[in-house]
Amino acid sequence: MVNSHLKYESKQLATWYFTFAAIIFGAQLLFGLVAATQYVMPGFLFEIVDFSVARMIHINALIVWMVFAMIGSVYWLLPDETGIETVGIGLGKVLFWAFAASIVVVVLVYLIVQVGPADETSLWLIHEGREYIEAPRWADIAIVVVVLGFIYNLYATGMKGNRSGIVTVLMADMLAFAGIYLAGMGYTDNISVDQFWWWWVIHLWVEATWEVFVGSLAAYGLITMIGAHRKVVEMWLWIEVAMLFGSGILGMGHHYFWIGTPEYWWEIGALFSALEPLPLVAMFIHVLYDWGKMQGEESAKGLETSVIANKPAFTWFVLNAIGNFLGAGVWGFFHTFPQVNLYTHGTQFTSAHGHLAFFGAYATLLIGMFYLAVQGKNGIKIMNATKKSIWATSMIFGGVLGMTAALTLSGYVQVLVSRAQWGATWEGYFAGQASIWFTQGMDWRLIMGVVTFLGFFVLIADLLSIGKATHHKR
Amino acid sequence: MAKKSVWSDNRFWQRSAGWVTGFASMLLIWLTFDTIPQIMLGSDEDLQQGVTKRVPGPTVINYKITYEMDTKRGHEIPVIGGANAEGRSSFQEKETFFGRDDWSEEEAAGLLHLGKLGSQTKNCMNCHTLLGNGAYYAPDLTKAWLDPAWGPNGPMQAMTGKNTKEEAMAEFLQFPSQYPTHARMMPNLGITPEEAKGLVAFLKHMSSIDTNGFPRNFGKIEGAVHGK
Amino acid sequence: MIGEILMTQDIGVDEFLPLFIASTLVLVFGGFYVGIYTAVKVKLLKNWAMPFSYLFWILTAYCLYLMGSYMHVNDFTAKALVVAALGILILPHAVYYMQDRVHEENEH
Repeated sequence: MVNSHLKYESKQLATWYFTFAAIIFGAQLLFGLVAATQYVMPGFLFEIVDFSVARMIHINALIVWMVFAMIGSVYWLLPDETGIETVGIGLGKVLFWAFAASIVVVVLVYLIVQVGPADETSLWLIHEGREYIEAPRWADIAIVVVVLGFIYNLYATGMKGNRSGIVTVLMADMLAFAGIYLAGMGYTDNISVDQFWWWWVIHLWVEATWEVFVGSLAAYGLITMIGAHRKVVEMWLWIEVAMLFGSGILGMGHHYFWIGTPEYWWEIGALFSALEPLPLVAMFIHVLYDWGKMQGEESAKGLETSVIANKPAFTWFVLNAIGNFLGAGVWGFFHTFPQVNLYTHGTQFTSAHGHLAFFGAYATLLIGMFYLAVQGKNGIKIMNATKKSIWATSMIFGGVLGMTAALTLSGYVQVLVSRAQWGATWEGYFAGQASIWFTQGMDWRLIMGVVTFLGFFVLIADLLSIGKATHHKR
Repeated sequence: MAKKSVWSDNRFWQRSAGWVTGFASMLLIWLTFDTIPQIMLGSDEDLQQGVTKRVPGPTVINYKITYEMDTKRGHEIPVIGGANAEGRSSFQEKETFFGRDDWSEEEAAGLLHLGKLGSQTKNCMNCHTLLGNGAYYAPDLTKAWLDPAWGPNGPMQAMTGKNTKEEAMAEFLQFPSQYPTHARMMPNLGITPEEAKGLVAFLKHMSSIDTNGFPRNFGKIEGAVHGK
Repeated sequence: MIGEILMTQDIGVDEFLPLFIASTLVLVFGGFYVGIYTAVKVKLLKNWAMPFSYLFWILTAYCLYLMGSYMHVNDFTAKALVVAALGILILPHAVYYMQDRVHEENEH
């Protein structure tokens, strides 16, 4: 790292995390394409890399690259926020390699061993077969150790340096993030109890702690990129925390409609998940407000220049506000009430929501962080977009929107045919799958998936080359 | 300078966030304490004494299970051992499972344990949905045990050439690619005869869980509100 | 509320499409409402746009009503939906008020 402009080792470590995250992001897209192809051509890689294997890697890679990029983001912003080098940076480096190596082993086992006999050993060594948290138990323990080490670094740094509001939120949030993971490590013969705790992990991650993480990161981004006032941003962050946790924690109810849990979850789930879009709307206003105010102040001084210090990153941050609102908000809201969810639960609607929400709420912001890291590493004052950044952004965002639209169409057919008319039986399921609208939806999903994948390569090319472009202000 | 108001005080919002989060968490924990006992596995004694549990004990595999509309609750519920006068489980009518209807609590629990483990190690959930959760590449298994396709007149049972639902399901699970129903096939997952038995027990048990009426109109193609 | 029948009747096959559209539009119109309101307040848009923001709120409330009727909601849920509509109305006002207050105090 001879040419690096990074003064802090913490930021260098962050770039490692970002690099590994980007690679896993690629793997996620690749295996997503395999699974999408199998919907169109069922014989594709049959009994070689079956849908179950491809999808397991698709969704596990999703979680893993995001966790990597999230840890990287914290290492990136810590020196800026606390004003000091991260404490325990050596530990951070060791943990990085341990984590990365574990992930590689886990994925290779998924690919090569795939399934094991029905015994506890398979759960310990191969996978646990529970969507999103399939990682075998040895890896669960490794993940807990790695995350505990990361949290130690975060706490030690936050307590030694200047503990800003953003750092305070992150400290609380990351502790909850790690603690919740423990709820998903057990085994039980009772599938209702199993799914009850499984949702503690999945829901309290993606609809509570991860969203708060996104709020903190967006706050950091607004301060660094457009010079928003810390006091305003941090106050707003606390309001977001209140709104996100206030609606998100009990929004859990919408996963407890049909897994054997009592009926009162209907009311709780409906009420709190109806509130869940509000913080997302609020986050959107917040970005708009700060941008408008800061640009307004700049114009008042007679300056015509934009206040944005990193155009590509800011674009992704704005797409985050939009994507979060669309994916988590709109696509979540229209099937969240139990009366509707009775028919939509477990159809491609869920899949449409999952794609746009994970992408809109998390991928966008983390890609924005990649751009911030490139800017910092190259010592650029104002980083402008290149043709490649614009292409990458349009292809990826357009591709995911396209996939979501296609999956929504397919889901609609499934609701009507398989659910409302055929009552969710085996025959009803395949009647829905055979509908021309459904199959066309799947074709379009694959096409849009390819667009997204190509966009990913443009993104990587841009991240590798944008730092050397000459139109930035250094 | 504008007057300092509580609405623009960082500490006020920090505390509010703390209180809201704490309150929501406590409520969730309290509800968890209420819910978990309600969804614990029942026992054989419950079944024999006619106690309805949301998640019945493993010996439910000895009983006949159906899925009937409950007018009071406004949705379908699993009915175990035939219906009583109110349309609820009467726990009377038995049904053989692999030739027996006297599986002991220990034996049944063993089968369920094997089946649940198998459902995880064979990665069912990354193609199928269980209780509506999982992947959408293959049919929902929540009430698969009650699926007419596997019933005495159903095409699936006929295809395997077996005489009972459980034997047909077990046969299919062991040799899925020998019985292709659609271009999209289930792959061979190396399921042993014993594991297949466990998995079918797991499916039968899952169909007896009270899922608040999910899925709606299951298996009622003729009688469904919008039935074809 | 608890114990009352929530699924009063099945959603008709021809009701799903308008239901999904209505519930999508709730948030789309709601987003326009708060978006335009905030944009006018921070002077990204001119003042004449303000009535449109309230127009979008009316559309939001109407779509909530449509959504509720297609879902055949019970009385309790219907009341909750009315509260939701009012909540959306107040939200951007409260948010803007608070942000502006803290901005003022820190700027001058």
